[in-house]
Amino acid sequence: MSDFWVLFAKELKNLLRDKKLIFGLVIVPLLIYPALGKGMGIGIEKARGETHVAIANFDSGDYGSLLIRALNSSPNVTVTLVEAGDVEAALERASSLKQNVLVVIPPGFSESIAENRSATVYVYGIFSSLGTGMKESVSEGRINAIIQALSRGIAEIKVKKLGFSEPSALLSPIQARSLSYVRGRLVNVSPSVVSAILASQSVTLPIVVFLMVTLTAQIAAGAIASEKENKTLETLLTLPVKRTTIVASKIGGTAVMGLIAALTYTFGMRSYIGSSFGGSNVSLGDLGIRITPQGILLFGVVVFLTVAFALSLAMLLAIFSEDVQSANTVVSSVILPLAFPSFILMYTDLSSLPKAAAYALLSDPFTHPIVAYQWMLAGEYARIAWSIGYLSVAALVLLYLTARAFSGEKILTAKMGWGRRRR
Amino acid sequence: MEVPAVRVEGLEKDYGKVRALKGISFQIGEGEIFGLIGPNGAGKSTTLKILATLLRPTAGKAEVFGRDVVEEAGKVREMISYLPEEAGAYKNLTGREYLEFMAKLYAKGGRDADEMLELGVELSGLGERLDDKVSTYSKGMTRRLLLARALMVKPKLAILDEPASGLDIINAYTIRKTIKALSASEGVTFLISSHNMLEVEYLCHRVALISGGRIVEVGTPAELKERYEAENLEEVFMRAVGLEGGQK
Repeated sequence: MSDFWVLFAKELKNLLRDKKLIFGLVIVPLLIYPALGKGMGIGIEKARGETHVAIANFDSGDYGSLLIRALNSSPNVTVTLVEAGDVEAALERASSLKQNVLVVIPPGFSESIAENRSATVYVYGIFSSLGTGMKESVSEGRINAIIQALSRGIAEIKVKKLGFSEPSALLSPIQARSLSYVRGRLVNVSPSVVSAILASQSVTLPIVVFLMVTLTAQIAAGAIASEKENKTLETLLTLPVKRTTIVASKIGGTAVMGLIAALTYTFGMRSYIGSSFGGSNVSLGDLGIRITPQGILLFGVVVFLTVAFALSLAMLLAIFSEDVQSANTVVSSVILPLAFPSFILMYTDLSSLPKAAAYALLSDPFTHPIVAYQWMLAGEYARIAWSIGYLSVAALVLLYLTARAFSGEKILTAKMGWGRRRR
Repeated sequence: MEVPAVRVEGLEKDYGKVRALKGISFQIGEGEIFGLIGPNGAGKSTTLKILATLLRPTAGKAEVFGRDVVEEAGKVREMISYLPEEAGAYKNLTGREYLEFMAKLYAKGGRDADEMLELGVELSGLGERLDDKVSTYSKGMTRRLLLARALMVKPKLAILDEPASGLDIINAYTIRKTIKALSASEGVTFLISSHNMLEVEYLCHRVALISGGRIVEVGTPAELKERYEAENLEEVFMRAVGLEGGQK
């Protein structure tokens, strides 16, 4: 076994047995995120359950009774008629009966409709607790939809009585049908659905990249700084092993942890978003977007180089730190401001930005996985190749600087307590 | 002419404005146990770190078996084993895994990792505790593990900074006997720094007294005691640096 593999195996063993690290890397994304998503999903499911409607009918005509029948025959709606002298009393009664909604049919409701005047029905959402209000919102939406359907039905009957054979055409003379034209291909999907699919991608990816980069940077910094803190560095540096091999093994070990972080966080975020917001039936393939093996490979290289850049930067900073705490402070202070700009790409895409702003964003290596993903979907591989070239240069320069710093005596003599008051 | 195990000539080391070493010179013969004694801040650890290829001298020269510690640092590292005064082991590994990891790195070039590991296990004297994580060890147990690591590879030159620090009387005695035995049986050369004058007197063939970045005396413990008419090395040191009256 070569020196690299011996050191690499030790790094990996040492990292994989770190309970705090495993908690942040595996337990949080694989258990806590899906659990949060599940919790939110359960909340939504509960809100979509049975709607309990109280009805206070102050009308004596047929249309009031028709509305009650319509609500009664609707699925997921349970109707309770309440007797009350006025609206306030009806609200109190409905609240005590733990109803979600109170529908008040005012006096003269039927008369107005019969005389072809607009009539108003009042829908009160009853907030028994000040939680999310999701149940009240869903219930109100459901009741409104029933009222609108009834309203349209009454309108169509009235129009038909006037002698029009197609009342729906008269009531809705203009029908809108939304389709999308995605990168030169006509797709029978509305733009809002396409937008939702693309948005789910553009939200997940920056978060996953951000978490992956910051986590691996912290692990890398910790791998160097803990050698100082635990007094193992001097022994390590006097072993019959090349210093570059030591640096490479640390980068290798940390990169594996970064890969684990990428996989667990991608899975966790997907699970969170999937279970809390529900999935779409339309896939990227339905939009004519094909992800080829070549595209995946190029995208993978971009992610790898971004992680290599983050690791080298973190290690370089950690070399000058006194201990793990100082290393974490300095790495956070440098990596976070570099990683944050990628969040801009959650709300806008590169082509819609002014040129100077787009180039400024591209100069930040941490934005590259996100733009490379968009280029991969668009099949613009030449652009990804350009990104790989840029990242390779940036990562190699930093690797060289890190290896040089590791070979000198500064790694032993530099004792900067970043962010800490020196005694 | 035989190449000395260690040759140091006019060695200087500055840390910014602080001059830690002010031109020290000494030699160590092969198989010798050589002690470097002096108070805190005298320059002992700096000298050891330069010979262990960790620090670069500001001026002067240091060689290990004829190899320059700066120009041929890689070659020097293949011949030495260094134990820092304040050292630790990887807390998430077991003692055995730690020794195994080190043995594999030293075992290249035909030397047997299993043999090294076997010796390391024996030297550590930790028995079944070797299968526990290092994080569960006491300070003394960790020191024994580190010493076992440094000696199991049978280096040509072992550089030990305060080898018995943190060890109880029994363990310290065992370690001293091991050092003597390895020197006699395997011809391992030792460079040892220590505050413990009794330890140095018992162990070392020759000693150098260092104070304020300069070597003030070199000789065998017997020679030095005779020269300063002292009963022990402690008195020799006090008289050599002029802190106590006596004859030379």
